Amino acid sequence: MVAEASVKRATRAPRSRAAAVLAAWGWLAVVGGGIALIGGCVGSIGARGGVALRISELDDVGDARHQASMRLVMEGLDAEIGSNPQRALSRYEGAIKIDPSNPFVYLTLARYYAAIDDPERALEHLDRAQSLIDPTTTIYRSVEPHLLGLRGWALANAGRSADAGPPLAEARRRAPSVWGDGRLDARELR
Amino acid sequence: MANAQKRKTTARKRTASSTRRSKPTHRKLGSARGWLRMLAWFGVGIGFVAGFASSVVVIRLDRVVRERFEGQRFRVPSRVYSTPSIVYPGLEVELADLRGTLVRLGYREASGDGALEQGQYSWQAHRVRVQLRAFEHPTRSEPARDVVFRIRGGFIEEILELPSGHTLGAVLIEPEQLGAYYGPDRSQRELIGLEDLPPHLVDAIVSVEDQRFEAHPGIDVRRIGGALLANLRAGGIRQGGSTLTQQLVKNFFLTPERTLKRKVHEAVMALLVELRYGKREILEAYLNEIYLGQRGSTEIHGVGEAALRFFGKQVQNLSLAESALLAALIQSPNGISPYRNPERARERRDLVLGLMTEQGRIEPEQRDAAIAEPLSLAAITPDPGDARYFLDLLRTQLSEHYDAAVLSSQGLRVYSTLESRTQRLAAIALREGIEQLERQFPALVSDDPLRALQGCIIAIRPQTGEIVALVGGRDYQVSQFDRCTQARRPAGSTFKPFVYLAGLEPRVGGPAITLASFVDDSPLEIATPSGPWQPRNFDREFHGRVGVREALERSFNVATARLAQQIGIGRVADVAHRLGIESELPLVPSLALGTADVSPLEMARAYATLAGGGVRPQIHSIEDLVDPAGNTVERRELRSKRVIDAGTAYLATSMLQGVAHRGTAAGVRSTGIEGPIAAKTGTSDEERDLWFIGYTPELVAVVWVGFDEPRSIGITSSQGALPIWRRFVGELTGGQIHGQFPRPSSVVVEDVDPVTGARALWGCPDRRRELFLEGTLPEEVCPSGAAKGPEEDGFQRTQERFFEWLRKHL
Repeated sequence: MVAEASVKRATRAPRSRAAAVLAAWGWLAVVGGGIALIGGCVGSIGARGGVALRISELDDVGDARHQASMRLVMEGLDAEIGSNPQRALSRYEGAIKIDPSNPFVYLTLARYYAAIDDPERALEHLDRAQSLIDPTTTIYRSVEPHLLGLRGWALANAGRSADAGPPLAEARRRAPSVWGDGRLDARELR
Repeated sequence: MANAQKRKTTARKRTASSTRRSKPTHRKLGSARGWLRMLAWFGVGIGFVAGFASSVVVIRLDRVVRERFEGQRFRVPSRVYSTPSIVYPGLEVELADLRGTLVRLGYREASGDGALEQGQYSWQAHRVRVQLRAFEHPTRSEPARDVVFRIRGGFIEEILELPSGHTLGAVLIEPEQLGAYYGPDRSQRELIGLEDLPPHLVDAIVSVEDQRFEAHPGIDVRRIGGALLANLRAGGIRQGGSTLTQQLVKNFFLTPERTLKRKVHEAVMALLVELRYGKREILEAYLNEIYLGQRGSTEIHGVGEAALRFFGKQVQNLSLAESALLAALIQSPNGISPYRNPERARERRDLVLGLMTEQGRIEPEQRDAAIAEPLSLAAITPDPGDARYFLDLLRTQLSEHYDAAVLSSQGLRVYSTLESRTQRLAAIALREGIEQLERQFPALVSDDPLRALQGCIIAIRPQTGEIVALVGGRDYQVSQFDRCTQARRPAGSTFKPFVYLAGLEPRVGGPAITLASFVDDSPLEIATPSGPWQPRNFDREFHGRVGVREALERSFNVATARLAQQIGIGRVADVAHRLGIESELPLVPSLALGTADVSPLEMARAYATLAGGGVRPQIHSIEDLVDPAGNTVERRELRSKRVIDAGTAYLATSMLQGVAHRGTAAGVRSTGIEGPIAAKTGTSDEERDLWFIGYTPELVAVVWVGFDEPRSIGITSSQGALPIWRRFVGELTGGQIHGQFPRPSSVVVEDVDPVTGARALWGCPDRRRELFLEGTLPEEVCPSGAAKGPEEDGFQRTQERFFEWLRKHL
């Protein structure tokens, strides 16, 4: 009886070891895959966001409505680059009509008004943009330099240099190539 | 000297005696001569007077002609337009209401998919092709385009431009006309220049109305003679001899009476017009003035307007057959109307084409091709009466800068914020919702329409403050009083969120409450100048210690009144004003329960501020105002102001989402609407006012139901107002609400013990997630005495952070 039991144990032991190895390998694969998946997602979002956001990086993000709205934002930026501010405004208005909760339209409008020295409106649109963007997303990280920089730029335009300093400095620190000059050109946002 | 005098006297006597002697013969001659002389003088006098009088008349008529021709020739009513529709890939065809939009804009459906004319479309299951008209606007102009919408599974899959085949990201369809501000004559015209007209239209009109127009001086004697003969032969008036100039004069300056005086005036004025002005100018005036029929109570004047109304296209795009039809209508616009009498219209059109051929203006082949064309007319769309409350609101706003005469004559174009489809759905939801209530509760029915149950609905975009729908009552014909903007009624429980918001707002020493706090719903008595005030709950019971969320979700009056006392009524009123309430708010304890009178528009603005994360939008209904020359006269920019901290606004929204999920507004989802909704019901004392205010991330809609002379309705708002809101938003969104209320970074999530409201740590038997403003986490912990703080509760914190990180990044 004892011998029989030991034989059974002896034959079971390699099986259980193999199962344990397999299980461990399985877990490793799952965990590794998960990490790879997460890393991939984060990497791709991070790559998309970059240091400071460009609107052209977002044209395939979100649902069809958001994408259509973003296309109009791009057209508006193109119009600004082409020195056609009226057309730009009409494009931004269209973008809002399609997707009124698209924060990037308001961000772009804030830039537009900061550029034409209308700090009050720039700040209004900035507030709106900030109220619409989810700070828990990765994209937020690439938008934040713009939110800070635009606030600083608008405050500086409004003659509030003391208030403008810290956000501008932070924007410069996070995205020196874009905010180094304390301004955001339509090309830099596009 | 004396002798000379004598001789003169003698000679005079002699002459006199000789005259007396020749009397029988010469007397007669002298008398006739005298009469003749007198007659001549009389004639001269009469001639002088008549000449003078006629000169005065001619001068007067000339002045009339000059004043009209050189001043403002036409009164052109200002038109009000909806916001344009934007169609893009991914949009649901039904929600876009593409076909309805095209029909209302006067686009005509073509039978095949061959070459389409401008203003035509062809509709197939998977392919819609539209020859879009150009949209003229100072900043938003769009060219005319041949566009194909490819459809799959009820959605627009792709938009292609022909013939290039380029894909388009979005297409703007011109706005719909909502109405116009008419003068007393209620005439509508689209002014055109002669250079814009197709030559065959002018040829058609001239050939049938006045073929010698180029040759005559204003009146055509040959034609008058011909007409006279024709009428004598016919034994009655069958044919007119009026030239285009005379017709213009008659329409411009004279009344339609048939008197000799008017005919003379007409002829004189026609001559004067021809003397003073060129043929081109006269023809242009005629083509803009001519009456071409009736649409509802509105008169259609001029070929520009007629082209839009009859064929849904700009006049320059009219075909030969269409031009001939317009020319045919001039004789009797209503008798030959192609809508009422298509056969007669076709006969007359063909007659015009025949005349054009006879006069060598077109070739016989052209005539035959035009005759073969069927009458293809734009659909008659119903008068958009639903928007009339909105038009009144606009008129009031515009009247600050433009008086009624300017609006009815200067041809301004008012581009409004109203969304045509949203407006129509709101109007249907309100009208049918109230009718449904009357069927359900027959006691609400009144025989007198002026005392009938009423209601209103207003919808605005929280991010922009645009009014996208406004229906001020169930029937504009019966009552023009706009209950959304003009009425002030007690807000009832829809005011309560302002109390909780005031409690949640950060202040020195921390906010009065957090969402984990509890409030006391036990009997309360407050001393007021008019005696003790004892608020009671709707269910006539007291609920003791209740959570803040539950108190709002179940709309407890006593708990809310006590909380308002704790915060201070002044602070509550301040919050309400900041949110957008402009009405005076009496600082009495009952303010917390919504006893103050406010308008639905104010409430919409206040809730829009919550929906917009604490940023208050400036409400507006006009996008821009454009003059007839195409210049922007006025433009409304988007304006807004942060009035509430983003985190606090988010907490309030979260509470109201709870109301729509579990509380008194839970019925809003009973028809399966999915997506984020925050809402509050409100019923004033004795159920005199029923309110329902709900918002999604992109729309705030307020519904009010009640009698104009306040009396009890006897039902709650969830029975009366909620179904109207639910129907409206359900239809509008197709049951799927887009977007989300983004959580600001100042709001953190923490587990709490639902019984005590303490922070739930490892080992707490029960827990739920709750939102807090940063720095307002509860001091107490569960289980009591457990270690607190992230350092002490390391494992749990690490675990939470890991899952939070996963949530953010996946």
